Amino acid sequence: MIEIRQLTKVFKLSKKQMAEAKTKNPRKTAVDHLDLTAKEGEIYGLLGPNGAGKTTTLRCISTLIRPTGGEIYVNGHEVRKEPEEVRNCIGFLTSDIKLDDQFDVDYMFRFFGRLHRVPEQEIERRRKELFTYFGIQEFAGKKIKELSTGMKQKAAIAVSLVHDPDIIIFDEPTNGLDIITARCVTDYLKKLRDEGKLVIVSTHIMSEAEKLCDRIGIIIDGSKVAEGTLEELLTQTNASDLEDAFFEFYKDRKGEA
Amino acid sequence: MSGIRQIFGKELARIFRDKKMIFSVFLLPVIIMIAILSIINVLASNMENNIESHISNVYMMNEPESFRQILENSGVKCNITAIDTDAQMEDAKAEILSGDADLIVEFPENLEQAVAGYQEGDQIPQIKTYQNPSEEYSTQAADNLTQVLETYRQTLLSQRVGDMESLVVFQVNADNDEMYIQDEEKASGRAIGMMLPYFITILLFAGAMGIGTDMIAGEKERGTMASLLVSPIKRSSIVLGKVFSLMVISGLSSLIYVAAMVVCAPMMMDSFGGAGDLNIQLSIRQILMLAFLLVAISFLYSSIIALFSVFAKSVKEASTYVMPAYMLILVIGLVTMFNFGETDSSSYMIPLYNTALTLQGILTQETTLAQYAVTLVETLVIGGVLTGVIVKAFESEKVMSA
Repeated sequence: MIEIRQLTKVFKLSKKQMAEAKTKNPRKTAVDHLDLTAKEGEIYGLLGPNGAGKTTTLRCISTLIRPTGGEIYVNGHEVRKEPEEVRNCIGFLTSDIKLDDQFDVDYMFRFFGRLHRVPEQEIERRRKELFTYFGIQEFAGKKIKELSTGMKQKAAIAVSLVHDPDIIIFDEPTNGLDIITARCVTDYLKKLRDEGKLVIVSTHIMSEAEKLCDRIGIIIDGSKVAEGTLEELLTQTNASDLEDAFFEFYKDRKGEA
Repeated sequence: MSGIRQIFGKELARIFRDKKMIFSVFLLPVIIMIAILSIINVLASNMENNIESHISNVYMMNEPESFRQILENSGVKCNITAIDTDAQMEDAKAEILSGDADLIVEFPENLEQAVAGYQEGDQIPQIKTYQNPSEEYSTQAADNLTQVLETYRQTLLSQRVGDMESLVVFQVNADNDEMYIQDEEKASGRAIGMMLPYFITILLFAGAMGIGTDMIAGEKERGTMASLLVSPIKRSSIVLGKVFSLMVISGLSSLIYVAAMVVCAPMMMDSFGGAGDLNIQLSIRQILMLAFLLVAISFLYSSIIALFSVFAKSVKEASTYVMPAYMLILVIGLVTMFNFGETDSSSYMIPLYNTALTLQGILTQETTLAQYAVTLVETLVIGGVLTGVIVKAFESEKVMSA
């Protein structure tokens, strides 16, 4: 289970960043007092435009960055107090995180398995299962730098799941994938959900959120403006699809203009 | 510990699983070194042969018949052109300046008579030579002719003085084979001790530089560091795994370079005409002292390189940051290379400098155990502190997300 209480993340901007953002304020609030609870057996989707704070929230959960305020509990472990325990029970994937392209997929899979202290036999079992599911076997001996974007993404997904984590956090998991590979990934996430695991994904693709997520949290400007199942969000806004519903919330937040 | 071992193993695998990396890290520098030395060797011997085979063009003015005999007997080959007038002399000087001729030897008129009829108080005849020191051929011709002139002088002198021995008042070390009283081990240690700290320190640093910047700044730049940061291992395990592997790689590469240098040393000595006898004899105590110190030095260097790399956003930036440290190491190496006389004990307190001093001192057996201990402990402590700073930097999202 993931419990987020009043999460706030403020970044200090350098002079260059301030000039790029055309602001004189040296502090940028990326996430603003966000509350969120996601439980086992569900796919929770963070939906929002670019720069809304989705990735920052996921990076805070995965202990890559430290919250400025608030608390995050991952399976009962607080991210600042027990970061190693938190990292041990999550599988985290984002486009910013890449596999070392000097090595082949096999080496990377085994290396991360050992880093997660997975026994050798279990690594082999997981390897067989994941490589077969994602069709990695045929390029398992190739170096990462020789792989196509889709192959790299499949390899990265398999590596992030080597330790069979209870909680899977994927930041825009189908980004850059062709329709077949994207379907393969979303189907696997559903399978994980059905096995009782908690899956959190971030996305700005409405159709993906509609089809994949059991519950959706809409984030705009670092704040959660709505949360619920697809039906609940549609009912709240009298909209026919998620895109219309999203724009209703967006207008409420930003005003008609 | 498991985390350190895994990271350590991966960093070594990055080098040893890749043939190109093995070649570029360990073999290429050695091949380049051997190639450069071979080229120098070939060029130097070519130059020597060329000079030796050159037949000098020499102008002679007022050459006595007796000199010509001695010159022919000496085996020195030269084309001799006799000149008589001042105008010819001026032309010959112009040829010396342009490099077309190599030497002019100007004898006084009637040298033989002047020497034979010498009375006490007479002016001593003078032979003048004109050469161009910028021209190798000219210098060589002057050297050769000077020797022949010396023989000529001795010949004329023996004609004047029946017993040459009567001119010798005393000799210095004519048959004293034991004139040098020194400790042979210390002497060979001094020769090695002068060069070794310089090469070892530079090679250890240079060996770690390229790999070290790539290992940390490169991983940050490529986005692969984050994959380690979301693993359930301590940041300190990542840092230590990387620093230790860097130590091994730099240690191994410097070992290979040193071995190659030992092999190439005779070649170098040949090229530069030195007769240096690099007979290294080290006691077990010296070897142990060297080994522990080298481990400590490679730990310090690896942590320095890792520290600069962790604050850099890219490999390029890291290389720029590391360069001043490399320059410092070069300067320290040079200072110890030309360091003679007694070394003040307080010098052993200066970080980095003390490592080079102690390396030298172990070989020349001039470093005391206390000085060695100060250097070793100080190097390890500074390496440890720097590693601690790197761990702190790894915990900083600002540094790591840069």
